[in-house]
Amino acid sequence: MATVTIRNVWKYYGQTPAVKDLNVTCPDGSFVSILGPSGCGKSSTMRMIAGLEHISAGDILFDNQRINDLAPKDRDVAMVFENYALYPHKTVFENIANPLRLRGTADATIKERVTGAARLLEIAHLLERRPHELSGGQKQRVAIGRAIVREPKLFLFDEPIAHLDAKLRAHMRGEIKHLQRNLGTTMIYVTHDQLEALSMADFIAVMHDGELQQWGTPSEIFNKPVNAWVAGFVGEPAMNFLTCDLKRRGDDVVLSHHNFDIPLLPGQVRQLNGAAQAGIARMGVRPDAMTVSMTKPSEAAIQGEIFVNELLGGDMLVEVQLADSRIRVKTTPEFEGKPGEICYLTVNRDKWHVFDAGDGHAYF
Amino acid sequence: MTETLTGIDMSVRAPEDRFRARKVSTEVEARPLSAALPPPGRLNPAARKAYYFYLMAPAIALLAFISLYPFFWLIVMAFQKGDMGAVEWVGFKNFIDLASDDRFLSGWVLLFRYSAMCLFLQVSIGVLLAVVVNGSRYERFLVTALLMPMMMAPAVAGLLWLFLYNGTFGWYHWIFHSLGLLGSGSILSSAKTAMYAIVLVDVWQWTPLITLIALAGLKRVPRDQIEANMVDGASPFRNFFAIVLPNLYPVLLIAVLLRFMDNFRFIDHILVLTGGGPANATKILPVYLFEVAFKFFDLGRGAAIALVLLVVTIILGKILVGVFDRPTAGGR
Repeated sequence: MATVTIRNVWKYYGQTPAVKDLNVTCPDGSFVSILGPSGCGKSSTMRMIAGLEHISAGDILFDNQRINDLAPKDRDVAMVFENYALYPHKTVFENIANPLRLRGTADATIKERVTGAARLLEIAHLLERRPHELSGGQKQRVAIGRAIVREPKLFLFDEPIAHLDAKLRAHMRGEIKHLQRNLGTTMIYVTHDQLEALSMADFIAVMHDGELQQWGTPSEIFNKPVNAWVAGFVGEPAMNFLTCDLKRRGDDVVLSHHNFDIPLLPGQVRQLNGAAQAGIARMGVRPDAMTVSMTKPSEAAIQGEIFVNELLGGDMLVEVQLADSRIRVKTTPEFEGKPGEICYLTVNRDKWHVFDAGDGHAYF
Repeated sequence: MTETLTGIDMSVRAPEDRFRARKVSTEVEARPLSAALPPPGRLNPAARKAYYFYLMAPAIALLAFISLYPFFWLIVMAFQKGDMGAVEWVGFKNFIDLASDDRFLSGWVLLFRYSAMCLFLQVSIGVLLAVVVNGSRYERFLVTALLMPMMMAPAVAGLLWLFLYNGTFGWYHWIFHSLGLLGSGSILSSAKTAMYAIVLVDVWQWTPLITLIALAGLKRVPRDQIEANMVDGASPFRNFFAIVLPNLYPVLLIAVLLRFMDNFRFIDHILVLTGGGPANATKILPVYLFEVAFKFFDLGRGAAIALVLLVVTIILGKILVGVFDRPTAGGR
């Protein structure tokens, strides 16, 4: 159990910075996910916390104790690796017992703790096997078993379920979250899968290009992205972006596109705060913040042409051509529009976003 | 191959070329000899076996000529009283005589002592060197430097060390003498030190081989296992014995197997340095075998010793493979 503070941390590989001036505080007992695409510096960050990578600059603190110079074995963390890193010459029992053995725990205690962990993870029947006799999901459980068998200050999970098949992954998401809640240990979980981060974490740190983009709860990250990059990275299907003109019309500010002119809500005008009141901006709207219909529901509806329909089981995704760009709308499978037909889109203005056309930061 | 490909490429580009290519292919009548046999894909298992046999037959014939024929002659000779002239069948007499031959028995003891010392030193020093060299900034240079003793012919290495050990002007002789570690005699003339002297030469020459093999093995030790063990709480020292060494076992097996068989066969440097002396102190079995067969020309007896040596080598090799090849020592 520990509060982890990452303070002005930099990581350089030669002349290339992999992590740039990272500042994050993970509260005690929380489940924190570091989310980002490959090469964003998230694994480097985790490896610096584990002690496997030198910290080029800055400090990492556990409960206000600086741990920069501690060897991995003295940091009291437990880590689950992306490819499990089980010891092939040891049985499952010995794999899980390894952290205890290395600390000179008594045999009776080891047996008790290992069987306890194995029962929790439902691998008690596999204890005598060796790693090469296990399936991917079982290996992953053994790796988790090795992490939870003692009570470390901190769990570090490095994409632990990235190599499992989709169904097992969904199952393990729930299990890991449940496990962390029960143990109450602080967890840092690195992933490139936004769905994993959104569904499991208490807090998400979104990283891109070595920089922290946004820190917040899953709903903050999803509903109030601070910039266009976060908005585009989080959410599946991805957010639609349209380049529009901002025009002042009386007291209103209007978002203007070839196919539509829609005024912002009064609160949103205030959020623009005078900035970019005239000029171009990027409008962002998620596929489920719009409705599509074949008849014109109101004067404000946007007219477009259906490009293609994709049936996704319970939902249907309609791709609509608007002048030179396309946007995707989520609707029900009963939607009967055909490609090439004219349709009408209604945007839920509470849920749209406007980003600066230059640096991409969000006005709202 | 390249020309054929170029031809095809051109035929795609220009239609005239395509016609020409077709015409050529119909006119070819001489097919390669192997075309007389049907390709193996269409054969039933038995016919396929025969097909593979035909393919291997030339190699087997060559092998039989240079290797199997002399081997069978060795077996035949072991049952004969053979010097250069008259040949006489003596049955198992050669083998029975060996049981009461003191030199033969002490040759075994010396051989095992020699081989055990060589293997222990070579493997431990070799692995240690590999760990030091691995990941060093000067790795390439160090590997090249380490290779140099191996490149030397064993007899030349023996001569080199003969000079270093020499009782009059030998450098090592001088050092040991100055340190008071040596009595009045020279290194090679004392029965106490001669064995260590020849072991040292073998270690000097062949430890680099173990280092090379271990270095290759170190490169494939999975990094994540080492890191996992570090996070689990292991010191670098424990990490080496818990993760690195078990992952090295398969390659070390090959190294030990090679070196142990070499110890049973290579006697060049011993012949140069001591010739088995002083007072038979370094007369390991292969040296004795050489002496019996090619100095006394008792070829029958020599063949019998060689045969016993061969059988023991095979048995020991088998045991070694069995010991190392347990599933505990395997890779993933």
